[in-house]
Amino acid sequence: MKSKGEIWHLLRKDFLLEFRTGYAISGIFLYLFGTVYIVSRAFQQIKPESWNALFWIIILFASVNAVTKSFVQESNQRQLYFYSIANPIAIIISKIIYNILLLLALSFLTWGALSFMTIDPILKPDVFSLTLLLGSIGFSINFTFISAIAVKANNNATLMAILSFPLVIPVLLLLVKLTAISIGLVAQDITNDILLLLGIDLLLLAMTLILYPFLWRD
Amino acid sequence: MVKHWWKALGVLLVIYTLTVGMLIPLRPGITAVSPSSVRTGEQITIQVAGYNSNFKKAQDSIRAWLKLDNERAIAAQSISVKDDQSVSLIFDIPEYLPVDQRVQDMTLVIDNDADGASLLPSAVFVTQDSIDPEMGQQVWKNADISNLNDKKGITFPFRNILGETIRNTYFHVSLWLAMVSIFIISFANSINYLRDPLPIYDYKAKAYTRSGLLLGILGLLTGAIWAKNTWGQYWSWDVKQNMTAVSLLIYMAYFILRSSLTDSEQKARIAAVYNIFAFVALIPLIYVIPRLTDSLHPGAGGNITFGSQDLDNTMRMVFYPAIIGWFLISVWISKLQYRMDIIHARIWNLDDED
Repeated sequence: MKSKGEIWHLLRKDFLLEFRTGYAISGIFLYLFGTVYIVSRAFQQIKPESWNALFWIIILFASVNAVTKSFVQESNQRQLYFYSIANPIAIIISKIIYNILLLLALSFLTWGALSFMTIDPILKPDVFSLTLLLGSIGFSINFTFISAIAVKANNNATLMAILSFPLVIPVLLLLVKLTAISIGLVAQDITNDILLLLGIDLLLLAMTLILYPFLWRD
Repeated sequence: MVKHWWKALGVLLVIYTLTVGMLIPLRPGITAVSPSSVRTGEQITIQVAGYNSNFKKAQDSIRAWLKLDNERAIAAQSISVKDDQSVSLIFDIPEYLPVDQRVQDMTLVIDNDADGASLLPSAVFVTQDSIDPEMGQQVWKNADISNLNDKKGITFPFRNILGETIRNTYFHVSLWLAMVSIFIISFANSINYLRDPLPIYDYKAKAYTRSGLLLGILGLLTGAIWAKNTWGQYWSWDVKQNMTAVSLLIYMAYFILRSSLTDSEQKARIAAVYNIFAFVALIPLIYVIPRLTDSLHPGAGGNITFGSQDLDNTMRMVFYPAIIGWFLISVWISKLQYRMDIIHARIWNLDDED
């Protein structure tokens, strides 16, 4: 299939660019470790409830930064070039996959760093890993799409936050709930929440795929 | 004039909602009883406070019962009326109750020919000294609740806690439903814009979103007032309150997005894309998550707004016209707004030609 090849090439291009410059990833990781360090110094002792909240606040801001960066690194002329040779759907899918991988790495690193510097309250690592996966997918789709919008408005960072935070709240609420379950704060069956999260992810993905072709034409 | 019938209809329906919704009295009800907790084997005197009731006027026809369940009830021994709003009832509570719980709640039923029947569920809690359902069966003197009177005239139902605030159904609930319909129109116009990029669709989407936002803010405010009177505070961090606040934020972001774009064609297209995305992202917010979580709102974990028994036919006579009224008024407001936009665009074009 042609678009499969396109997605693959675009992904490879994103990774190559990243490996060559290392600008975005190193910036984000520095940001991440800085935040985790400040948080663990500021909170001398962290309760599992606060750990849950802190974890997702760190992830939320790190993700917004990460995804916004991944879109600005290309100049308008280069974007025009991509659009002329590739299918818009392939472009957005490759961006989403790239961001999912980036956010997954980010989530697991935050988990590791926060556990290393404070505590590791997670009792059910399998549930938590699944939560991180679904969370990365949801965040990635949402933020990628919104950053595609924000890029048109001169990539206004405030606009990115204003547009994406309210939209990401349903996903975030479910993630916090699932994390509470995997910490053992709440004893509950997770099937419903996982399915709901998956449903929201799919809904956002479908909307992104339908709407993106209208966005890029400029 | 013929073309504008719906505007007149909208105004009429809103006036109808305001007058009829506010003026029709509530059905008589019971607001409080004291004492509300008694022991078995006592003769107790219960003071009952009525609301909108005519105990004095209907003095001779008052009957009262304490109802255990649908078959079993005990009748009041004697009834003395103080005034229209208060009456004291004397009941003989038997030594034993025919139930095997220590504490049993009973429903108070009062009936007279002026007010009809009114009841207060779980009005009295009876604590049993010793539990013996069989003895309870033997000493039980059952009284039949029959030949209940009906209240004459048009009234709204009386519900405990809600009281007069039940009228807010015509504002809070119907504003909310009108808002959803207005956002659907805005959503449809955004889709139309993407299929066929005519500026008129953009003006419409913008105008309807603005009216929808207005309805949403009004719905939130009326809801907060209602919450203050029934739940005790304006904001209780109820799941629906939170989700509403979030959805209003999403639509406010729509206007911020519009104002940050300069090229009008680009603005229209991107705003349409965001509007569609936001509307679809709202579905889990307002329809899915509240159903899965506990809520103070009626109908949590199932129905969107409330159950069928919460609305009686008199209320329906105002509730449905209220929705249509708010909807038509908002359509009118939106229409004025997008016609302004059309005129603006035309003036600018004239300037260009000069």
